[in-house]
Amino acid sequence: VAKVEPILYGDRKVYTVSSFNRGIGSYLGRLPAVWVEGEVTELRRNDAWATVFLTLKDPATGSTLRVTIGRRAFDRLELSLEEGETVHVAGRAELYEQKGELALRASTIERVGLGAHLLALEKLKRRLAAEGLFSPARKRPLPRLPRAVGILTGADAAARGDLVATIGARFPAAKVVVCETRVQGHGAPARLVGALGALAAHPEVDVLVLARGGGSFEDLLPFSDEVVVRAVSSCSVPVVSAVGHEQDTPLCDLAADARAATPTAAGALVVPDLGELVTALEGSRRRLTLAVRVLLERDTARLTRLGERLRVAPRLFLERRRSALDHTGARLQALSPLATLGRGYAIVRAGAEALRDAAAVTPGDRLDIELASGSLGATVDDVRP
Amino acid sequence: VTDERSFEELQRELEEIVTRLERGDVAVDEAIALFRRGEELYKTCVERLRGAELRIEELTPPRSAG
Repeated sequence: VAKVEPILYGDRKVYTVSSFNRGIGSYLGRLPAVWVEGEVTELRRNDAWATVFLTLKDPATGSTLRVTIGRRAFDRLELSLEEGETVHVAGRAELYEQKGELALRASTIERVGLGAHLLALEKLKRRLAAEGLFSPARKRPLPRLPRAVGILTGADAAARGDLVATIGARFPAAKVVVCETRVQGHGAPARLVGALGALAAHPEVDVLVLARGGGSFEDLLPFSDEVVVRAVSSCSVPVVSAVGHEQDTPLCDLAADARAATPTAAGALVVPDLGELVTALEGSRRRLTLAVRVLLERDTARLTRLGERLRVAPRLFLERRRSALDHTGARLQALSPLATLGRGYAIVRAGAEALRDAAAVTPGDRLDIELASGSLGATVDDVRP
Repeated sequence: VTDERSFEELQRELEEIVTRLERGDVAVDEAIALFRRGEELYKTCVERLRGAELRIEELTPPRSAG
């Protein structure tokens, strides 16, 4: 899709008609699908055209809305519509860009005559809502990886095929348990309840999907039946409702634990994506390896430091002792008499004893004089006590 | 590892081991044992994911309900 870009005339942004229309068209395309009620006028169908055109008129105000629908889709409805009939049209807003004309692109058209049904349904909805059956607090989380997925489906090959294909593609190791039963017509509600119970009772089924493609309002009625809605709400395993198209809201959708617009979306809800799981596992493994390496490196570093300290410890010990010894030696030195001799003092001995008193000797006694370096022998001449 | 537990439980144990190792308050012997266990869990999980083919079981709806 080409981007919508204005032409600039100085400060003024100007859009071409076609880019304006394209912009509006893509904006309209994002609006949700809705049901619109009106009277059919100007119905134009031609075998040579791919599209059937009609106009819906609001009988109260005369407002009109163009409607387009694919010819094949229109023919399949087998409506044989008359001008002036009231219909419900399900569709999305669409812009015919060439003309800038708004239309409702229809996916289905239903003749209105279902008023009574709708009213009964609305009453039931209000009653069950008042009971709290649709309360968000009741919704259970879906299992991340169910042992088996239970699938409840009618003879609806497309819905079943889409669902099974999605599950298989996302998570090949999955197991599905399929229960096929008639999901429309008389007796359908009871059969649905029976099948729900059977699937929920299966020992491996951890989550259940109601898979039913689109259908007319009547076709989908069993999925709004009170017994079915209650069975969904009280089911022993979580239920995903993938019933009808986007614009339909059968009551089982409201009672289910999760709602999916299509069977494919339901498949994505009930099983994880294998690729994502493997990526997560590989992430865990990387972290595991990294964490253990960090731990080992930390311990190795601690060990290395201890080893180094161990090796230097004896040397440190000796050095410390040696310096203490040196200190003691110095103090000893300071006290030694030999140091005193160095300053010029002498020790005088008479015999073995150091002489302290002159009166202890008499003239003629032999003295021994010790100097810092060498000694002298001497004789006492006179005594002066 | 022949482990009867579900994939989710195995994956959770792997996550717990990784978290413990990352926190780092583990002795070396234990760290190595945890690492080995984590590797085993990883392999078991991956095998479980890759091993199987999609299995489809048909369940007959109960007759009495109709």
